[in-house]
Parts: sequence; C-alpha cells; structure tokens
Amino acid sequence: MPLESNARIVKELAARGYNAEREAVTLLANESDPAAAIDAAVDVAPDNALRITADHVRTIARDRSPDPTDVGNQSSAQNDSESARNDVSADQSPVEMEGSTTHTDRDGEPARSSHSGSEQPPEAVSSDSSLSASTSESSVSPNEPPAPPDKPPSSSESARELAQREISVGNDMTGRSTGTGEYADFVRTFRDRYERLSKLLRGRVNHRPADAIADMPGGSDAAMIGLVNDVRSTKSGHWLVELEDTTGTFPALIMKDKGLADVVDEILMDECLAVEGTLADDAGILFADSLHFPDVPRTHQTGAADRHVQAALISDVHVGSDEFMADAWSRFTDWLHTPEAEPVEYLLLAGDMVEGVGVYPDQDEELEIVDIYDQYEAFAEYLKEVPADTEIVMIPGNHDAVRLAEPQPGFNDEIRSIMDVHDAQIVSNPATVTVEGVDVLMYHGVSLDEVIAELPEAKASYDEPHKAMYQLLKKRHVAPQFGGHTRVAPEERDYLVIDNVPDVFHTGHVHKLGWGKYHNVLAVNSGCWQAQTDFQKSVNIDPDAGYAPILDLDTLDMTVRKFT
Amino acid sequence: MRPDDKRYFARIEDRLDEAWAVAEAAKEQGRDPEPEIEIPVARDMADRVENILGIDGVAVRVRELEGQMSREEAALELVKDFVDGSVGDYDSREGKVEGAVRTAVALLTEGVVAAPIEGIDRVELLENDDGTEFINVYYAGPIRSAGGTAQALSVLVADYARALLGIDEYKPRDVEVERYAEEIALYDTETGLQYTPKDKESKFIAKHIPIMLDGEATSDEEVSGFRDLERVDTNSARGGMCLVAAEGIALKAPKIQRYTRNLDEVDWPWLQDLIDGTIGRDGVGDGDDASDADDDAAAAGDDGDPAEAADPDVSAVDEQHTEPAGPPRAESAQKFLRDLIAGRPVFTHPSEAGGFRLRYGRARNHGFATGGVHPATMHIVDDFLAAGTQIKTERPGKAHGVVPVDSIDGPTVRLANGEVRQIDDPEEAKAIRNGIEKVLDLGEYLVNYGEFIENNHALAPASYVYEWWVQEFEAAGADVQALSDDPGVDLEHPSVEAALEWAEAYDCPLHPEYTYLWHDISVQAFETLADAVADGDVVEGVLAIERTETTREALEALLVEHAATPDALRIPTWRPLARSLGVDDGLRKTWAADDLSADAREWDGGDNAVRAVAEVAPFEIRERAPTRIGNRMGRPEKSESRDLSPAVHTLFPITEAGGPQRDVAEAANVMDDTGRRGRLEVEVADRVCPDCGEHTYRALCPDCETHTDLHYECGQCGTVCEPDEAGRVVCPRCEWEVTAANRREIDVHDAYHSAMEAVGERESAFEILKGVQGLTSRNKTPEPIEKGVLRAKNGVTSFKDGTVRYDMTDLPVTAVRPEELDVTADHFRELGYETDIDGEPLRHDDQLVELKVQDIVLSDGAAEHMLKTADFVDDLLAQFYGLDRFYEVNERDDLVGELVFGMAPHTSAATVGRVVGFTSAAVGYAHPYFHAAKRRNCDGDEDCVMLLMDGLLNFSKTFLPDQRGGRMDAPLVMSSRIDPAEIDDEAHNVDIVREYPVELYEATLEMADPESVEELIQIGEDTLGTDDEYHGFDHTHDTTDIAMGPDLSAYKTLGDMMEKMDAQLELARKLRAVDETDVAERVIEYHFLPDIIGNLRAFSRQETRCLDCGEKYRRMPLSGDCRECGGRVNLTVHEGSVSKYVDTAIEVADRFGCRPYTKQRLQVLDDSLESIFEDDTNKQSGIADFM
Repeated sequence: MPLESNARIVKELAARGYNAEREAVTLLANESDPAAAIDAAVDVAPDNALRITADHVRTIARDRSPDPTDVGNQSSAQNDSESARNDVSADQSPVEMEGSTTHTDRDGEPARSSHSGSEQPPEAVSSDSSLSASTSESSVSPNEPPAPPDKPPSSSESARELAQREISVGNDMTGRSTGTGEYADFVRTFRDRYERLSKLLRGRVNHRPADAIADMPGGSDAAMIGLVNDVRSTKSGHWLVELEDTTGTFPALIMKDKGLADVVDEILMDECLAVEGTLADDAGILFADSLHFPDVPRTHQTGAADRHVQAALISDVHVGSDEFMADAWSRFTDWLHTPEAEPVEYLLLAGDMVEGVGVYPDQDEELEIVDIYDQYEAFAEYLKEVPADTEIVMIPGNHDAVRLAEPQPGFNDEIRSIMDVHDAQIVSNPATVTVEGVDVLMYHGVSLDEVIAELPEAKASYDEPHKAMYQLLKKRHVAPQFGGHTRVAPEERDYLVIDNVPDVFHTGHVHKLGWGKYHNVLAVNSGCWQAQTDFQKSVNIDPDAGYAPILDLDTLDMTVRKFT
Repeated sequence: MRPDDKRYFARIEDRLDEAWAVAEAAKEQGRDPEPEIEIPVARDMADRVENILGIDGVAVRVRELEGQMSREEAALELVKDFVDGSVGDYDSREGKVEGAVRTAVALLTEGVVAAPIEGIDRVELLENDDGTEFINVYYAGPIRSAGGTAQALSVLVADYARALLGIDEYKPRDVEVERYAEEIALYDTETGLQYTPKDKESKFIAKHIPIMLDGEATSDEEVSGFRDLERVDTNSARGGMCLVAAEGIALKAPKIQRYTRNLDEVDWPWLQDLIDGTIGRDGVGDGDDASDADDDAAAAGDDGDPAEAADPDVSAVDEQHTEPAGPPRAESAQKFLRDLIAGRPVFTHPSEAGGFRLRYGRARNHGFATGGVHPATMHIVDDFLAAGTQIKTERPGKAHGVVPVDSIDGPTVRLANGEVRQIDDPEEAKAIRNGIEKVLDLGEYLVNYGEFIENNHALAPASYVYEWWVQEFEAAGADVQALSDDPGVDLEHPSVEAALEWAEAYDCPLHPEYTYLWHDISVQAFETLADAVADGDVVEGVLAIERTETTREALEALLVEHAATPDALRIPTWRPLARSLGVDDGLRKTWAADDLSADAREWDGGDNAVRAVAEVAPFEIRERAPTRIGNRMGRPEKSESRDLSPAVHTLFPITEAGGPQRDVAEAANVMDDTGRRGRLEVEVADRVCPDCGEHTYRALCPDCETHTDLHYECGQCGTVCEPDEAGRVVCPRCEWEVTAANRREIDVHDAYHSAMEAVGERESAFEILKGVQGLTSRNKTPEPIEKGVLRAKNGVTSFKDGTVRYDMTDLPVTAVRPEELDVTADHFRELGYETDIDGEPLRHDDQLVELKVQDIVLSDGAAEHMLKTADFVDDLLAQFYGLDRFYEVNERDDLVGELVFGMAPHTSAATVGRVVGFTSAAVGYAHPYFHAAKRRNCDGDEDCVMLLMDGLLNFSKTFLPDQRGGRMDAPLVMSSRIDPAEIDDEAHNVDIVREYPVELYEATLEMADPESVEELIQIGEDTLGTDDEYHGFDHTHDTTDIAMGPDLSAYKTLGDMMEKMDAQLELARKLRAVDETDVAERVIEYHFLPDIIGNLRAFSRQETRCLDCGEKYRRMPLSGDCRECGGRVNLTVHEGSVSKYVDTAIEVADRFGCRPYTKQRLQVLDDSLESIFEDDTNKQSGIADFM
C-alpha cells in the first residue's frame, strides 16, 4: 500500500478547490485507499463548503470500514493517556518522584513512567514499538480512531493560538563575538568561568585564595575553590588534584580510603571544584576531606507552560549526507500535521542541520549534495514540511558552516537567509531558550565525546548519553576540559558556563537517544536523522535515527516517537 | 674472491688497523667514559649480530649453522641453544625466550638495523585465567625496521622456545581479542599499515596466536572500546604489536608456514586459513588479495595490474571483438599524486602525453630505485630537478632518486616565436629557457629492468629506441659491425637518407630518430596533416605547410621540430614525416581517404593514428613512446651537516644558565647568591677513582689521573651496587634500577677554563661553545669540555653520540671518470685502480673506471665538512691526547683514500667506506652495494658519513639517550668489508649488463612478467657467491658527468613557501603533461587545508608559554602572568600562523578554477577565522564607518 503523504493529500484537495482541516488530512491519509477516500470526502462535503473537515471524512470512513476492534483498544489507551496528561497539567505540580531516577533504557526493563504519581501504564510514553504503531504503522491500519472526546475538532485552530506563545533566548552570542584571539581574551574567558562558577560554591565552603592557604600554618583546616589544573594518581594509589584560582595553584591530596574515589573519576580538567580539608604539617598540601561540584540543587523548581503545549526536541538532521533519512523525516513532518501533533507548537533543533563540507577527509565522496549552500537550501525545503505555524529555534553544530570553536555563533547572513523558513530563530551554540516558562538549555554536544572518553563507562557512555549530560550539569559547564577534544574560542565571558539551572538540557551530536532526569532537570540527547555511516560502522556506533522526543511543556513529561 | 678484491679489502683494513692503533692509544689514556674503542669491528654478519645483541657465543654458533641451513632455519636452531643454555647466559625462562627472539630478529636483519635491541622491549611470563603460564612479547615501535618477515618469525621463535620450555599457550580473553581488532584498525588510520587486516582477520589471529603480543603505546590516540583491560596496560595503540600482527603475521603467513611445517613442536594450523584468505574476506577479488599478500612487493600497492587482456583501457564489450581495439598500455595510476604539497611540482600527470617517456636501460649512475632524467629536462622544469631530488612515480615503484643521464632524449619545447625544438644540451636549455612557452614533452625517463623485478611490476611497453632498433636492424640482415666502424655513418643518429634507405632496404622499422609519436594524434589529425603536407611547398629543402590549429597541434604532439611564421609551419627535416604520412618526396599523397581500413580508423577510438600510419607508410613504424610515467617531486636532495637543535659542541650539561644559545662561556660566568661564578646544579654521573677513592664526574681522576669508574649508589637506601652481566644495575634491597647519575653542584667555570688551558686554546679561538641543557643518557656521563673547545674551534658540531656527521642523499654509481670526481688518474692508481671498464690500462683522467664496492664520492659540502672534522681530530689527537696528528690534511685531495663510516637512520651498524673523489651534486654517490649494506636504497633516502677516526675516538654508548630508540642511529658495530650476500637483497636486483636483449623489448609489448626474461639479463643476484660478486657491474647507458643538471633543486634555492608554490603553479601551466587546475586543487586539498584546519584546531586548544622563563602552561593561568616568574605569558599559536595561507589558498582556488567544494571549504574556514579573530561589534564594513 502506497504511503500517502499528508502534503500530497493537501495538494490533491487544493487542486479540487478545498482547504482541509489537519485532522481530516490525517484521517484521509490513513484510509486504505486515500485517493478513493478523497473522492468520497469531496462528495460528502456540501457544495458550498470550502474546507474538508474531519466530520466529512468520518462520515465516509464509517461507511468504508466496519471493523475497528483492535484499533479501538488503542484508542482507548490513548484516551486514557490524554486524560492522564490533562490531569497532570491541571494539577500543575509536575514534581518528579522516585521513579525518575530509575529511568533507564528506551527498550529496556523499567520503562520510564512519565506520569509522576499516577500509576498509569507507560503506554505512549516510552519510545517503544507501541508508538510506532500510532505513527508509521498507523498508515497500515485501516482506520484511525475517532478523535478524543475532550478534543473537539473545532479546537484545532484555537489550540495553536499564536497569542499564547512565548519564547525568548538567553546567552545568545550571535553577532556578539568580541574575542580577537589574543592571550588576554583566553584569560578573560577562564577568569569569567572561575568567577561565575566559584560563586556557586562559595556558600558551601570557606574559601581561601591559593596564596593565602600557602601562608597558613600546617595542620589548619582550609578550603579552596579553583579550576582543576591537574589530576593525577600517585604511586601509592592516591590522587593529587591541583586547583587554581586567580592567585595561584595549590595541590590537594585525595586519599584513596576517603571514600572519594568514586568522585575523583569524574573530575575533568578545568572544571571548577571546591576542596575542603586539612593542611599537611608542612602546609605544602591539602588533605581533602570533601569535594564539591557546583552542581544543580536538588530543590530545583522547574517552570511550566500554563496550557497543554509541546515541543519537539530534535537534532542532527544531516541533510546533504548520503545517509540522510528523508523518508523518516517526512513521516515525522507528516505526523506533525496530524491532530495528535497539534500541541507540538515548538521545534527545537540542536545543531547539524546539514552534513557540511570538509568535516572529514574525502567527505565529498559521501555527500548527496556537495554544495554547502545547496545543502542548506535542501534543509530549508525539508523544514517547510513542518507546519508553517510551528515556532522553530535552531543552534549550529559541528557539521554546520560556522566556526567549530565554541561558543558557536548562529550562522552568517547568507546562510540565515537560505534558512529563512517559518521565521525560524537561529541562535548560538549553546543558548538557553525559554519556551512558555520552560528553560531549555540547547547545546550541540561535542564535549560529550570527551566526557564519555574520560569517564568510566558506568558514568558516561554512548549508550546512555544522558548520563554524560548529568556530568555537565553537575559541573555547570557544557564543555569544561580545555586543550583536548573540545575547541574553545575566547570571548569576553565564558558562554559555556551553565549559569542558571535549566529545566531541560537538550543536546545531540552523538546520534544516540537517551534521556533522564538529574536533580529535576530533564536531560535529553535526541537521536539523529542520519542512518549509520561507514565511519560509524567502522567504530561500531549504531545510531538512533528517526526519533523525535516530544516534550510536554506543561508537565515536562516526554514521549519519544519513532519514525522509521 | 679475486686477488684484486683481496688486495682492495686488505688495503682498507690496513688503513683501518692503522687508525685503530692510534685510537686505541688515545682511548687507553682513560680520558673518555670508556678506556677502549666502542665500535667493535665485525668481519661478517655473525659478528654484527653478536655485537649488536651483546650476547657472547652467538657469532660462533651462527657461523656453524650458516653453512648448513638458511638464516631463518638457523634462527630456529638457535632457539634450542638458548633453551638448553648453551648460548646466552640466561637463568630465567623468559630470559631465554627473549634472547632467542632478539637473536632471530638480529639474524634476519643481518645485524644492521636496531630492531632487535630497540624493537623488542622484553619478554614476560604471565598467567592465563586457568592458572597456566604464557609468554608475552613486548614490542616497541622500532620493530618496524625489521620488516614483516623478521617480525613474523620473531613470534614463531618465541612460540618454539615456549614449546621447548613447556610453557602453555596464551589463552586470550574475549575482550582482548576484540581489543586487538580495534587497536589494529586504529593504528592503521593513525599511522598507516602496509597491509590492513580486516577486523575478522585481526580477531582470528588474536584468537589463535599462541604468544601474547603486547607493546608500549606509540601514539596518544586511544581506543574507544575495550579500554582499561587488566592485561593490557595502555589504552593507546601499541604500534609494535600492530606491526607484528598485521605486517608480520597477517601479511607473511605463507612464509611462516614454510617453517612451522618443519617444526614438530610447533603447530599453527590456522595459518592455512589466513593464507587461503577465507578469513574476513568475502565476495569478489579474494584470490587477488591473497596472492598479493604472497609476494613481498605488495608494498607497491599500485601494482598496476598487468591486465592480461591486451588492452585494459577498453571495456569488456570491446574485448569481445576479435581484434583488440587499442594498443597495449600500462594502466594509469593516481596514487603518486596523493599528499601533493605546495612548492613541489607535478611533472607528469598519470600516463599523460607530453610527460616522461619510459626508456629501458641502466646508466652508470643509475639503478636501485633511481630514475634517469636528461639534464636539459632538469633545467627546463625550472631547475626543480637536480641529482638526488626525490620524485614520486607512477611506476614501477613508488619513488625514485633522480640521476642525470644525457644519453637519452631531452625535452621538446615550443618557444615564444612558435619554433618547436628538441633540446639535448643542458647549456642550450639554460640559454633558451626564458623563451619557452610550452614544454611539449619532457624527454625520456630511464628505468632499469631490475626496477621492474624489484617491484614485481609487469613490464610496461617500451619506447622505440636505438638499442632496440639496432638489434632489429641486425636481425634484418644489416652488417651492424661494419656500419658502426664506418666513420661516415652514425648508427645512433643517422642522416635522413640513411634512415629511409635502411628502413626500405632491410624491411626494418624506421629508425627511432625519425619515428614520431603517431599514437598521440587522432586519425583525423593524421589525415589533415597528410593533406597539409601534400599541399605544402618545398623551398630550399624546407617544407612549408599551412599553419592551422590542427596542423600545429599535430606537429607538436608528434614532436616534429619546426619553425613557425604567421601562416606557415616550416619543417626542415620533412621527408621521414612525409613518408610516414604516405606522401612521397614529390609531395604526392599516395592514398585516398577510402584506403584507410575501418580498423585503422577505429583503433583506440580514433585517437591513435598508429594503425593509419602502418597502412600508408612504406615501412614499418613502431610506437615511439607508448608508456608515459607520471611523477611529481618528493623531497629535495640533501647535503648538509647533521646538527642537533640547537647545535651542540660538547655534551656537557650547563642547565639553563647558558641561555637559549646554550653558551658554555655564559654559563661559566653566571654568578650565584654567594658571588661564586659558574656553580651550577646539574645531574651528572657519580664516578669514583679506583686508586684514591675520589668522587668526580670526570672520566679521569683529577688527582691521580686514573680512569674512574661509575659509582652506583641506590638513592633510597644508599647501597652501592654493581652492574650485573646484562649491564643492568639493580639495588638488591630496593629492587629497582639504580643509575650513577645524581644531582649536585659542579664548577662549570673551572671546568671550562681548565679545559681551554688543557688543550692550549683561548676563548678567542672560537665564536661560541655550545653545551647541552642536561644529559639524556642513563648515567649522565658528560663529555670532556676539551673536545667541545676543539670542535668549536674547527667549526664542527656534535651529534647526540659524540660523533660529527654529515648527511647526504644516497645515489648509486657503478663506474666513474676520475675527471668528474675532481681527481686524477694518478689518484685512482694510488687507490689500486689499474684498468678502465674495457680492461685498458688506466692512464687518462677521462677513462671510465668501475667503482669498487666500498668506495664513495663525497659532495663538495661533505668534503669541506670532512676536512674540518679531520682538522678537529688532528687537534684532538695532538692537543688533548698528546699523540701525533693523523690526517694532516691541507686540501681536499688529501681526503682521497681516507676511510669514513656510512650509517643510516634506524640502524645500528656502520659500514666502512673509502673516499675516492668529489662531486658538485648535493648527494653521496656510492656503489649500490654500499648503500644496501647500510640498508638504504636510493629512492630519496639519505644517511650520513662520519670520519673514521672521529667515530673511533669520540663515539661512546654512554652518551646515548636512555629512551626508546636511543640506540638507533648509533654505530654499535662496524662492518669493515661488505659481503654481497649479507646486504639488503634489493640491491641484488640491479641489472649489470651492457645491453638488453631484444626479447626484453618484445616482452614489454606483451606487458609480460619481468621474470619471464630474467634468464636473459644478468642481475646482481646472479653473481653472488662467485668470483665476480664484486665486479662486472656493467651499464647500458653512459652519462657525460654524474653531476650534470642544477647543483641544487629550485625547491632549495627559492625563498618562502609562497615563492615555491608560485613557481610550482607556473611550471604546471607550462608543462603540456600537467593539468594545472588539478595541481592547484591538490595543493589546497593536501597542504593548505590541512595546515589551516590543523592550526585552527591547535589554536583553540593550545598551550601557553612564559616569554621570560619558558615555563609552559596547558591552560592560560587565571592570574594572567607566569606563576613561576611573574613574567609575561603568551600564546604558542597565534592568529598569524593560523591564517597565513588562507588568502593565498582562496586566491589560488580562484585563479585556477578549483571546484566549488574546495572553494566553499575555504570560505567556511575563512568565516571561522573571521569569527574567532575579529570583533563582531567593531567591524569596519565601509567608508561610512569613518564618516
């Protein structure tokens, strides 16, 4: 059975002089013979009607398919979920409970319960095949259930009420790159990092500057906040951590039997830490008793939209690559036209819109579209498939045509003008996008590679990218380590510091899907829209392609939908 | 061996003994770290093996075994000796295995390369999960120099020893197996492997190999999975292990199998699967891969598949015709163009018309990975080629060293006035080169037959040349002997009349002199030209034809010399052309368009007029230049002294007190807090006088002048330790290695001034005396400053091992004229040369003499440097050791007959050579066997010479750095005579005949395997072990002077990179065989883009450095200033170094019409640079900003 795209149905109807309701289009698309269904629907519609409504279609559908038993179950489940959602949003207290910390694998065992407190089964919430049934497979099932009763068709226009939308961007440095690559710029950046992150720690320890500690008598208690200058293990199995502040450096010894071993594993160079302990007798070294990260407070209160509205969090589209999954993308955008997707009013794209040029050697051989501008043109075309009234925010990634060094400003004017679709906002990487009260920190995620490489597998791995994101939240910095994998462009401030705790942390880059909550912050690494590349095959990375995490902005619950 | 050869070696050894005696007397004085000469003489391979390894008794056993069996078998036989303890003094089982493995590698590398000592770190006994023991061999990077066979055999030897010792096999854990596969793949992408095993193959090997292969990390790049394994102590790629597994086991499986079959104790049945290629290989092309792996020449990679079908160019459909539709052609290969960099021009695009034409032959300065180029061509390509310049070639191998040969065709050029002429005289080339508009043809490229054998490359169709013609001429019945005796006849360059007459009278192909390149014009152009010639006029013997685009291009492609006027092309030598075109002397065309057969018209798609010529010409015409060889410049030739950076006169530590120049005088004057001068705290050896017990760092006790011994005191417990038999010093109590070095204060002021006093020199004798910051050797024994004073005085510097070295590119030569070496026949007679190559007594300076195997020719620069070294050595003997001067040289002629060491990087054995003359070419010419003895070929390799006495007196192992590779490039042993059987066998493939048989030329047209005519052409291998092994190296081509062409490549004389690149692109425009857009594209792709991208990456993760004290910081200090000294800290990568090429690259991309993809990459980078280095808020976008 040919898969009818919604767009084609709309075109077909337009050719016959009709506009169409979104839901009607979906219903038509799910007909076993959409062409015939269109004919029928047009027949049913009154002569003076200008638009085909869902009612029209249902009228004909009832005649055409008599046995909707199976589907009925599904629909009731959906109804349940809808109502559950409404319950929660009405409740206005999306506080995360115990369950959240055990969120694990997507196809895994304890499927994550999104409805805090409610004992609902995790139907459409986890990314299981159950939802693929409602999306890609939905075209196979002869019938779509009637719309939920609490969502009358007429509400479709009002639900996407533009007036209620609210979006603002913080930390955007596009057009404000003032660094000129001087030594002083680097120093300024790191000092800013130190100043802003040390503030978060000052309340917790009685910080003394490095030079003051050096003058303290041996045996005194002391604490220091500093950027990690060096970490190494000693012959006897202890760790030596050298911290640096604006006055100098001071070494701290973390004994292996202090119970801090687990924490030492997590330390990355150049992150900000506080160490508390006792000075050695010769006052040359601090014996650490405790170690503090800036971290996210456990009491973090999340914001929420005051209506039922959703955002799709995606990334790594890679248009232009031979492996770009155009079909999956179209299924996704088709779905966005369905009533089910009606609340999805925002699309947040965390970088790598296109495959780019010159990202790796001989890349041109694997490009479907070799010209970088053509790649963005093509991307813009794909973006047009998204409903026109969707609010879109995008940040660049490492494949995009901007500088690789972070922070990355959001594209030059030429490329912006190409992507001038749906009035998308293009901001820098990283940036914080506040959507109807929900702060979403968007960062492409290049540093995840490094975090995963440096930290033990249990704490960060490609299979659980969100755990690597927890680390970044804990460090309150999206890319702490300097001098390694991540590239830094010096600016007047360190835009990579996570100053304000976000409600949602959204990254991409590693092409793996993973999400979970850390101290009430939802960390999401969205998958990608690029099938496994030769390179990925060679290093045995199996990407999660064709998924779209959908975030309820009122409850901060998330559903992952699969479009392959 | 002939008596003549015996005398020759005796002569060398006498001089060596003479020097030895003097050096011994000097060393005995105990002024040096060791009171004896530290480069032992090895008379044969067995000696070298024993000396390099330092295991007694090996040599005797090796000699015993050598007569009975092959070297590989001997290596296995020795395993038994090691295991039962009859050879080597090892108590532990792992020690026995280690000894056996090292010995095997040393044997297989003829005791020359450093792999056996540097490439195998240790052997360990570890425990399997089931509690049994297994052997772990720990390899290091330098195992590379052993080559695949020796690497593979080292594993087999270890396994054999394991089996004999009753140790269990290695049972790998699954994670370890996976790790091998990942790591080998990682190493391949990082560093590159000659052969990349598929993952399945790697795992297969790892699973079955009975020995654990391990090694130290060789790069920073880490594996991403299978990290932190218990039995693998690094997450980085272990280069040595990867090499052994991939290039050893996987690639050489058939060779190992040959030996496992003969061993009862060892059974590697799994090798068969590797050999069959059934592991990890699926689908098409299986068989090919496996057979490639079989032969050692797989290195070539571009084996240029000798397609069996006559014509690889035509598609399968065409091949179904009964006749091949095109001529036989070697397939073109692109590989040599990879990694093209700015400033190194392309001379010929792959197999492109107008490029170098393959000619078979060996000139006297040729063979052994070299290519002969006409000196006029060297000038025509703007002097980019000089003797010794490396070029990367399309075939038969990967690279060649360029040698000047003027007995081949020179280039053909079109001048600005339209004249086309061939240039066979370098002087003419220089005179007219400014007027050259286009280089239509680069002339011939001489490659010797042996190259094809060595590279196992199918013979490529030969150019039609005199050597071939004359044999055909004779076969056709001509009395060649009579004609060559006739003074009125020049067989090689006959008159038009003679050539035409011979062709017709003898039914022999037309003489190559008048054979034009018909294969390079189309049938259509051929017809047009024939008509134009028929319509032309002959005025005063010169044919004038109409000048049109087609006629001009046709004549240019044919390489017919002519002059041009605005409307006519004037061809002085026109009769052979007209005849070939089927036009008779009366300018009557003898054929009509219909006469040409369809076959002739469609030959090679109509682009090749050879068949048309064959049909209309009254005689046979062979293809003049069917094979063009693509090539580009590799690295330039080299002839310069080897200096450390910064240069060092004496290996004496002066910390940082000497400033950036490491000036000893400055260090000696530094005042400390208490006002004392030159008191520096350094790490130096603690030595003790055996007589008076005095402690000092000097080799000679300052009080009683006795030679001191190293004093090993454990830094932990104070125990005084003694070295064990292996030379290791281990503290019995603390169980760690102890060195004699310790940190203490020494009086550099006194040391410096007393040294000058001791040798009677003042500070004014030299400009500056440079020391080192610290010593890198294990025990940190410093060199006497006196040696440095005398080096500084004579203007030479020291290498890390105490020797004075001079580097030169290697080139081969088998026959020389005394005259060209700037010496006389008298000199040569004194050296023992008695006859020339024809057996005539040597009387004249210009007679050609066959070079003896250990005789070498120094470049002018090397000679000058050796003179200075000789002066230094004489001063040293006289002023330091108080002995007689040894060399007493005044001018460079005095160096003739003196002995030197030749020594190549990555090896540990020096070869004794004798200086016989000098050349203005910036290369070291020597017999191919001499280069092969050092383990070099001549494809652009370079190595060094040292003056013999300098090596004997000043080399000491105690100076060598205590790190991996420290013993590479150090003369741990010397070979006093070359045994041709014990050199790199590549040299045995040099052909040594005076004439190639006609069968060779005919075989080339079949693109036959080179082996098919091997019987007919004598190569070095054929004389091995006979009386003739040292002489009889004949050549097919002479050259006037081995130093013709530019002395230095333009690459070295041009200024900065931009100037070089401009010249490169300019040349690309000028050469017909080069596509300048492609060159520009490649320069950007392989040079500029990586440079910009690399520097940009480096910028955004760079280190910083204090401008005042040099302290480095991984990250910018938060204080902004240096934490050590408060000084100014600055970046190490600045905007300038990041963006230096961007504008040029963009401009070049524009000017040469590069692809949009390339332009866009540059554009994206340019934007990135702007984004990083420009303030967005402070951009001046136009004049409005200033108003």
